[in-house]
Amino acid sequence: MSELQATAAAGPSGRYETRWPSVWAVSRFETAKLLAQWPTRILPLVCVLAPLAFAAILRIQSGVPQDTLFGSWVHTSGFAVALVILSFAGAWGFPVIAGVVGGDMFSGEDRLGTWKTVLTRSCTREEIFLGKAATAFVYTVAMVLLLGAASILAGVLATGTQPLVGLTGQTLGSGHAAALTVASWGVSLLPALGFTALALLISAVTRSSAAGMLGPLLAALAMQLFGLIGSGDIVRALLLSTALDAWNGMFAAPAYTRPIEWGAVISLAYVLGCLVIAWLNLRQRDVAGAGSEVRGWGRQLRVLAVAVGLVALLGVVGNLGTTSITDGKLDRSIALTFANLTALQQTDLGRHVPAGSHLDDSAICSRQGVHHAYRGPGDNWLCTIYVPRLSNGLTQVNYDVTVKPNGCYTAEGPETFIGPLTIHRRNGPPIVNPLFRFDGCFEVAP
Amino acid sequence: MSALPAEDLSPEVAAVAASGLSKRFGPVVAVDRVDLRVEPGTVCGLLGPNGAGKTTLLRLLLGLVRPDAGRIEFFGRRPAPAPGLCGVAGFVEEPRFYPYLSARQTLQLFARLDGSDPQGRIDELLDLVGLEQKAADRRVGGYSTGMRQRLGLAVALLASPRLLLLDEPTTGLDPTGAREMRAVLARLAAEGVAVLLSSHDMDAVADICTTVTVLLSGRVVWDGTMDRLQAEAPAPEYRLETSDDARALAQSSSQPGVRAHEDGAGGLLVAAEREALDAFVLALGSEGIAVRRLAEVASSVEAMFLALTGGTAR
Repeated sequence: MSELQATAAAGPSGRYETRWPSVWAVSRFETAKLLAQWPTRILPLVCVLAPLAFAAILRIQSGVPQDTLFGSWVHTSGFAVALVILSFAGAWGFPVIAGVVGGDMFSGEDRLGTWKTVLTRSCTREEIFLGKAATAFVYTVAMVLLLGAASILAGVLATGTQPLVGLTGQTLGSGHAAALTVASWGVSLLPALGFTALALLISAVTRSSAAGMLGPLLAALAMQLFGLIGSGDIVRALLLSTALDAWNGMFAAPAYTRPIEWGAVISLAYVLGCLVIAWLNLRQRDVAGAGSEVRGWGRQLRVLAVAVGLVALLGVVGNLGTTSITDGKLDRSIALTFANLTALQQTDLGRHVPAGSHLDDSAICSRQGVHHAYRGPGDNWLCTIYVPRLSNGLTQVNYDVTVKPNGCYTAEGPETFIGPLTIHRRNGPPIVNPLFRFDGCFEVAP
Repeated sequence: MSALPAEDLSPEVAAVAASGLSKRFGPVVAVDRVDLRVEPGTVCGLLGPNGAGKTTLLRLLLGLVRPDAGRIEFFGRRPAPAPGLCGVAGFVEEPRFYPYLSARQTLQLFARLDGSDPQGRIDELLDLVGLEQKAADRRVGGYSTGMRQRLGLAVALLASPRLLLLDEPTTGLDPTGAREMRAVLARLAAEGVAVLLSSHDMDAVADICTTVTVLLSGRVVWDGTMDRLQAEAPAPEYRLETSDDARALAQSSSQPGVRAHEDGAGGLLVAAEREALDAFVLALGSEGIAVRRLAEVASSVEAMFLALTGGTAR
């Protein structure tokens, strides 16, 4: 470090400390810029209108998005609509918001050549960095909250505030369901900020707005692929996409919240890690110097090479570590869910189900055609549920089960035993048969 | 906004004092052990051919690039992490702004960034740099280079700096605009502001600069006052076309204070002070040699610059 650098960092009276009013000034400066640009200007509008449009489409068609958790219940409870939108938003919406808000935050100054104007004012690089990052995070939080509020409103308007069927087949009262839905959106804020931090990092390192805006989306896609193909717990636990699924546990009975805690740790690690690397990059760089004037794809290619290397590494180590998806967990979860949904089906059909009564069923699950038949995610699980008959003895029903690495599963049963997709209450409208195809979740590591 | 108390503006304290400043980009030495001093209330011209290191030196002073070695002081103090905190402002190369904002919004935004209250000051600055009200409300994305130069000066002045660092501030300006820009800078200097500007415009340098520093290949090859430079400068150079160049060349050899040689493009290149040139032209007339064209190709300042940097007249 030269004498000038050392003295500049030290300043005339010792260390130069960050002035928070200046960070606030930078934040207001950045907010004004965001509000003057069309992508960030229309983003709030999209966050409000998209859920309303989605709910309106659901309302006019009879089909349901079955591939998504709570998708089967969108015509039954408005909260299911908000949770389906949360699943979509976690996969695609948050990375898009992150890209639009954070992807241009640093690289925009490179694109427009304005670093030399911004950095010759009264704010230090540290204050400018903090102000920019704070603006991106606040804007992200605002957009996620707006999207969440619009989703809940859209669900309530389109379907209503009826009770919601949970992920163990239990019925959640309207108030409880509303509280859990709000909490789920709240829990998803931290991983959303993780994506924004990733966008800021890509923006700072590549100095390319295109990379900054598309990068989080590609990262989200890669994480989802890892989540699908990797069977080990180690890599899965390190993915932001896992943190975005953490809210699922709140809808199980008994509820489990350890994934939420771990998701918060991972999200904060992403935020801090990305910010530290982005800051080191900005602090060290020469702005508008001959070195930074070099045009071409060299920098972008280097960053791309690092990203591809990281993806390849994660792909190789994706199966490292044991899987915490076991037949025992699935046996217990699917038996309990089946019992709860059977009671619900009977109630829906207008039959009397005595309070406190519970189907004393059991299940045995195993994977078909694989060496490790009792563990791991896959679409080849077969669960046999043993249901007690009224006249003693047991009857059995087989469900084909797809278990995802996050511990959530979809079970499809034989129509001959459990009835068709829609069933009819006596003199009532058709309703979804809860046993035809159902979702559930159980806790997996971490 | 400035972090320095007014008493630091005593004439003895240099606005900027740099010593041994060096910067290398890979194998290229852009600035090589440069010493520089600019006093408050003076305008210092930074001259040099393309690639001499003028812009890099200004970038170093503005904190945009980190020096490999050397020391800088602004008003007798070591630099703060942001130029604005030392009362320093300016721009390098062509100033760049957000194309989706108007000039007025740009000034408001940068005033906000500096934490200052721009009320009333914005109109004053727009007027000072010659940006009309109508243009000030147009988006900067549609501005010409000259308009951006004017806005660049306005943004720099927004913080009421006591040291102004400007990289070719008259680039892109029409002759009237350039003259207005020089007048503004002269006025600022008269008010005590130190100005360091790089320029290729020798007339502008001769017009407003009180001191000059000439760079070549990153090193200072000459520095001193403008008066000293003019005293040491060789005679200005002219291109002369006559009805008989051969006889005119012969006549020049007997003319005191006149040096002439053939120009490759036809005609003569004549180096002479004004009085000697007048006498030479009269002598040509008395010899029956008609002067068809006489044009200055290098002023004395420019001739000095060319002599220092090994360049040739246009």
